[in-house]
Amino acid sequence: MGSWLSRKSKFDDTSNTVYLMQMPRGTRVPSLSPFPLKLETYLRMAKISHKSILGFSLSSKGKIPWIRHRGKDVADSQFSIEYLNKEFGVDFNAHLTNEEKAVSRAFLKMVEENLFWVLVCYRWFFMDPKDFGFSKPIPWLWLAYIRRMTRGYAYGHGMGRHSEEEIFHIGKLDLQALSDYLGAKKFLFGDKPSETDCSVFGMLAQFVFSNIESPHCALIKKEFPNLERYCHTMRNTFWPDWDQVLKGDASSTKL
Amino acid sequence: MHCNCGNTKLLIAAAGAVAASAFILLKFCRKKKLTFNDDSNVVYLVQLPRGKRVPSISPFPLKLETYLRVAKIPYENVFSSQFSTKGKTPWIHHRGTDLGDSQFCIEYLNKQFNVDINAHLTKEQRGVARAFLKMVEENLYWVLACARWVFGSPSRAGFPSSMNSLVLYFIQRKVKQYAYAQGMARHSAKEVFHIGKLDYQALSDFLGDKKFLFGDKPCETDCGVFGMLAQVVFNQPDSPHYEVIKKEFPNLERFCWSMREAYWPDWDQVLEKA
Repeated sequence: MGSWLSRKSKFDDTSNTVYLMQMPRGTRVPSLSPFPLKLETYLRMAKISHKSILGFSLSSKGKIPWIRHRGKDVADSQFSIEYLNKEFGVDFNAHLTNEEKAVSRAFLKMVEENLFWVLVCYRWFFMDPKDFGFSKPIPWLWLAYIRRMTRGYAYGHGMGRHSEEEIFHIGKLDLQALSDYLGAKKFLFGDKPSETDCSVFGMLAQFVFSNIESPHCALIKKEFPNLERYCHTMRNTFWPDWDQVLKGDASSTKL
Repeated sequence: MHCNCGNTKLLIAAAGAVAASAFILLKFCRKKKLTFNDDSNVVYLVQLPRGKRVPSISPFPLKLETYLRVAKIPYENVFSSQFSTKGKTPWIHHRGTDLGDSQFCIEYLNKQFNVDINAHLTKEQRGVARAFLKMVEENLYWVLACARWVFGSPSRAGFPSSMNSLVLYFIQRKVKQYAYAQGMARHSAKEVFHIGKLDYQALSDFLGDKKFLFGDKPCETDCGVFGMLAQVVFNQPDSPHYEVIKKEFPNLERFCWSMREAYWPDWDQVLEKA
């Protein structure tokens, strides 16, 4: 994976800059996938010097995003965060009690391993592709291929075995849990954000800012408005340049 | 005229072999039709046969059966390899309704029997309970599935006798495929163990000294967590997962024993019938 890229001038392995490999920007969110948005939000929160490389170069695990730092490639957003925490001496969970850290882990996994599949199934099986928010229309052959692959993955996971109504219901229960726990707090655990806030934001932003035609967005607006409020708080705090990023700015470069 | 006797005999032999194979396959695949009494209020829980060390070698039937016991809902076990319409097990049959997926079953039964074992939780606690349930069922589950089926050869120890090596082979193939689709199998064995350890840490830190996750009364998530941890604590005593629980998270083992003693006092008798 890294060998052919090293021939490109995109990476400077002598600098301390973290290169974040992710998909091209969406028209409504900086990334249409929750994991690059989680990782980039973390980098901003930690004030780590970074540059996004936009493309479809997959990691050694066959996925995106991944990072490169001083010649080292790290795949998987959570392993990337663990690596960066060590390298840069960062710990956004330092202010949490042991019990809060445990709850933080639980919500992280609920969002990334359950709500994520609700998002995937809704986006690829039940939504109109023109509502996805991609910068260009997806060619029909490519769309058919992705849908077929996603069906296989969702079936293997289990979410793809449920009906549309059941999937909606599962998503609603997750959103309810998040909303009830967040309550009136600014972030999940109070006035300071934690690692899990990056992930929850990465996921909810897909519903709140990108999939605005989806029933989950309507549900959040009607029944869980504190989740929408939360998304705006995270966006205003860590993405004041949101609109510039969507138009294409110096924070990213195409592969 | 050239005699075609040799070819005819070959044809008859081939036809016979095909017919015999079809007969054996049909006999193997055709499952005995399950019959239920739809007039009674009993819940029929359809699950795989009992294990030798745990009542079920899968966490979800154990979760569901534990819930039925906690909620004191009358039920009867039907041990069968018949899967639900979603292609999975366990599933339930109640008054003519078949329902798959352990969590949908619990939601259905809560309504039918007017039960809510989460009633004592605050709204915030319910949120946390949901999060832990999903962590355990959508993350730790895949850690354990990979540890058992993806990395190394699965041992038959503790499995029902009816699950022979051929069955294990097909299960292993499917699980590898599903675990790759879900994502866990893209990691190395060391990374998967690390992911599991972080989940155990979270469970242990949240449980602390409490008897159950949220105090002295169990909730739905306790059933889910018990179903999962019991696979390690009681069924895989030689695994590195059990070793790490014993050494670093002993309150998780204590929790398993609390659940087992409270809701499975007949644990040994249940296994002996296998």
